[in-house]
Parts: sequence; C-alpha cells; structure tokens
Amino acid sequence: MIRLSWPGRVAIWLVAAFVLLLLYGPLCVAIFFSFFRFKSNQVQWDSFSLDAYAKLMENQGIIDALGNTLVVGASAVIASLVLGTLFALYYHNSRGRGREWLQVIIFMPFLMPPILTGLSLLIFFRQIDFDRSLVTVVIGHTVFVLALVYRNILARLQTLSATLIEASLDLGANRWQTFRFIVLPNLATAVLSAAILAFALSFDETLITLLVTGTKSTLPLRLWAMMRLGFTPDINALVTLILAGTTCLCLIAARYLTVPQAR
Amino acid sequence: MTANESLRRVAARPARGEGGLRKRRGALVSAAAWTLPVAFILVPLLLFTVQSFFQVEGTDIVYRLTLKNYVRFFTDPTFYDTFGWSCLLALGVAVLTVLLGYPVAYLLASLGGRTKYVVAFIFVIPLLMSYIIKIYAIRSILGGNGFLNRILLQLGLIDEPWTFLVFNLNAVLLTLTVLLVPFAILPIFVALEKIPRNLLEASADLGASAWQTFRTIVLPLSLQGVVIGASCAFVLALGDFVTPQMVGGVSGFTFGRIIYSQFGTAFNWPFGAALSVILLLVVLLALVSAARFARPRFTA
Repeated sequence: MIRLSWPGRVAIWLVAAFVLLLLYGPLCVAIFFSFFRFKSNQVQWDSFSLDAYAKLMENQGIIDALGNTLVVGASAVIASLVLGTLFALYYHNSRGRGREWLQVIIFMPFLMPPILTGLSLLIFFRQIDFDRSLVTVVIGHTVFVLALVYRNILARLQTLSATLIEASLDLGANRWQTFRFIVLPNLATAVLSAAILAFALSFDETLITLLVTGTKSTLPLRLWAMMRLGFTPDINALVTLILAGTTCLCLIAARYLTVPQAR
Repeated sequence: MTANESLRRVAARPARGEGGLRKRRGALVSAAAWTLPVAFILVPLLLFTVQSFFQVEGTDIVYRLTLKNYVRFFTDPTFYDTFGWSCLLALGVAVLTVLLGYPVAYLLASLGGRTKYVVAFIFVIPLLMSYIIKIYAIRSILGGNGFLNRILLQLGLIDEPWTFLVFNLNAVLLTLTVLLVPFAILPIFVALEKIPRNLLEASADLGASAWQTFRTIVLPLSLQGVVIGASCAFVLALGDFVTPQMVGGVSGFTFGRIIYSQFGTAFNWPFGAALSVILLLVVLLALVSAARFARPRFTA
C-alpha cells in the first residue's frame, strides 16, 4: 500500500483502535461484571466472586436451552456437511447453466435478511401442517449455513488437481473408491473448518430461530428472554462462558482455514 | 479446450449402448440435487409471496386473491413512513460501517505477511460471537443507568445521565453499526489486497503524490469492496428486528419490527407477508445493483 505520512498513519491506527474498542468493549464489560459488582456508581473491587457461575449451574432453564442448542447445532452441521458436499460435487462435475441457478438458490438464504428466510419457512411449515419444534429449527439453521459450507468445500474441490482423480481411475479404482480415498481426504480440512464455522453460526442464530421455533428455546432465545428482566450477574457469567467457547472454536477453525498466499 | 479436459471427455465417453442409461442417471442426479433446495428455499419463498395476496378476516386467513395488503401499505403513512425511515437508517448504518471499516481494511492491507491475516481475523471474529449478547452489552453500556453514564457521572464530566443514547433511533443506528462493521471490513480488505502493488509504484514513479495515487488508483479499485460491504450492512440492518426491539424503545420502531409484529401480536400473516415482499424487493435491488457494480472491470 501507499506509504502514508505520519498524521495519516496515526489517524488510521486511531480509527482501528476505536473499531477494536467498539467490537470488544461491550464483550469485556460483560465479562468484567460476571466477576465484580457495581454499587453506587463504583466498581466494588473487593467483590470478586464466582457466585454468578455457581448460580448458573442451578438454573435448569439455561441448562435445557444449552442442550437444545447443542443438539440443533450438531444436527444442522451434519445435515449441511452432507448436503454441502453433495452440492459441491454436483456443481463441480456437471456443466451447463442449471448448476449456476442451483447455486443461486443455495446462496439465497445466506444473502437475504434472516427475517425473510425465517418467515418463508414459518409460512411453509404452516401450510404443510408441520408443527414447529426443534426439527424446524434444525431445518432453518441448515438452510442458513448451507451456503457457507458449500462454498468452503467447493473452493477446496476446485483446487484439487484433476490428474489425481484420473490417476486413481486409471489404476482401477471405481468412482466410490476414488471419492473415498482421494477426494475425501483432500477435503478433510475444508470440511472441518466449514463444520466449525457452521456450528458457530448455528450456536448464535437468533432471528431465524425466533421465527421457526416451537415451545423449546435455544440459548440465544433464552438469553433474550432473560435480558428483558434486566442486567444480572448470572447473564454475564453465561455470556463469559459462551464467549470462551466461541473463541476456542474460532481459534480451531482459524488453524484449518486456508489462508491465501500473500503476494 | 485443454489437453486435460479433452482427456477427461474421452475417459467419460460412455461405451456404446450405455449412453441412454448414463443420460438417464445424469437426469436423476440433477433431479435429486434440485429437490431439497427447491422444497426448502424456493417453495417457501413462493408461498409467502402468494400469501401476501390473501387477507385475514377475524382470525382466519381467507384464500381469495386481493391487493388489499399492498394498498394498505401504500396508503397508510404509518407504514410507508416507517419504511422510509428504516431505509434511511439502514443507509446510515451502511455509510458508518464503511467509514469505520475502510481505514481498518486499509491498515490490514498495509501490514505484512501473515500478520495481516491474523489481525484481519481479530477484526472479523466478533461476527461469530453472540449477536444477542453484544446487543445486550451495548445496551448496558449506553443506557441511562448504564456503564458509560456512571463513569461520566463519577468523573464529574456530566451532571445528569445522557438519555439520548438508548431507546431511540440513535441507539439502533449505533448498535447496528457496531454489530455490522466486520461485514464492511472484510470485502474492502479483500478488494485492497487484489490491487497490484506495481500500479502504486508506477503511479509514484510518474510523480503522483500519495493522495493522488489514493484518489485515482486505490479508491476506484477498492470501490467494489466498498459496495459489497455497504450492501451487506444495508440488507442486514434493514431486516433486523431484534436490535431495534432491544435498544430502540418505543420511538425506534423499524420496518423489521413491524413485519415481526404482524406474525406475533398483530397476527396478520398475509399483511406481514406483503410487507416482507416489499422488503425482499428492496433487498434484491440492493444485492443485484451491488453484484452489477462489483463485477470486475479491471483484472490484474
């Protein structure tokens, strides 16, 4: 990039620091107040405690919601991985305009605002008389994360050299064997990073879930319900735990994401 | 046709007599591939478009085609005013995210080697961190009784808590900007990365100042990233209904909230569907024009 004069450089660093503060400040405040109290406009530095965490463990509603979220996330990840891989293989191995249209359809729920994806599914389920439950939530999440998984796997598939596959076929492997022993191992890290990203998205999905869920709630919905009552330490504790979990997941995902070579 | 491709074609050529079978299998595979996306994406979208032409009488949906819902939207100022305001709000969010995101993306692009990807990751990771938690945290900071006010009061900088930061459209604008900034950073960063460095050197060699090089080379070439980022932020801001509900209070009533209320308290699905169709049209317009604009006209 162009070498900037020092005022330019300072300005740009300041903006970056400000954005970083905007992005992480709120999270830090929440984490901080999971350990400390705030009384009469002052932080009570001696109030450090883990009470909020202990209280959390007794809250059955939250534990149930966490269970639901994990079940939904795992199911959505499995479904979107299977479908995403199949669609990527289909796109990669077929010709013509049809595959482009299919791709557009797959991308739609990811590009549209979640409210539209959620509402269209809500109306759809009602029209076919399908009761809303965790199953509908899984369908909603799968539809939403599919584009991301598909894109990730397709990108890897396209870097795969055709000669590898030809060699395998030449050596007498059938199509399934070629897929199993050549294609799949090469896709493994792409599949893994896609799975982690998809899980993180599903774990956090709020808008679609809100529209397609039945009586059961996932963690974000539960949090939303709790927040209407106000700012309590146990919400902060929950927030801290969730953030710790997401950060770990993201770090693992980053490890396997393919970084384009710097020029 | 490359040699590779022609080889593959030859290898894929079916033995005599198998042609029909293979073709049929191809059609079968295509049909299988289309089934699920059509059933769970296309059909639901069509269904809600159809539903927008029905209407509600009492508590039942009457399945007779009518334009009443659309007429209601275009004649009742409550709806089209809110719609206009929400579009402006979403535009404001898009502008703010780009203004904040561009310098960050620029900084990232000017960092060297692997560092830039690590730092980029730090800026983008909050996208995966709980959306609802961030709204909640922002509200707890900005609120009349919130963290920011308490600090300012404590420091003696203000005498009374600021109340203009929460439960109004300002708050919605601020919160959405914070939430959506990464969506602007990422595409701008990618666009900046693609600019061949020798163009910048050539420009400097030919005597252009840093500002001139930026104005005439970097900015035009990164504009597609700006457009993609801005349209992402616009679309997501326009469709959001939880953020306005959490921080918007009574005055922060946006289009997304109106749509959502049609499916909840107001219980008028066909009208909600009609409003969603209008939202969908605006979103498609934004996305299509972004895609048009973002098509590369210059390739390195």
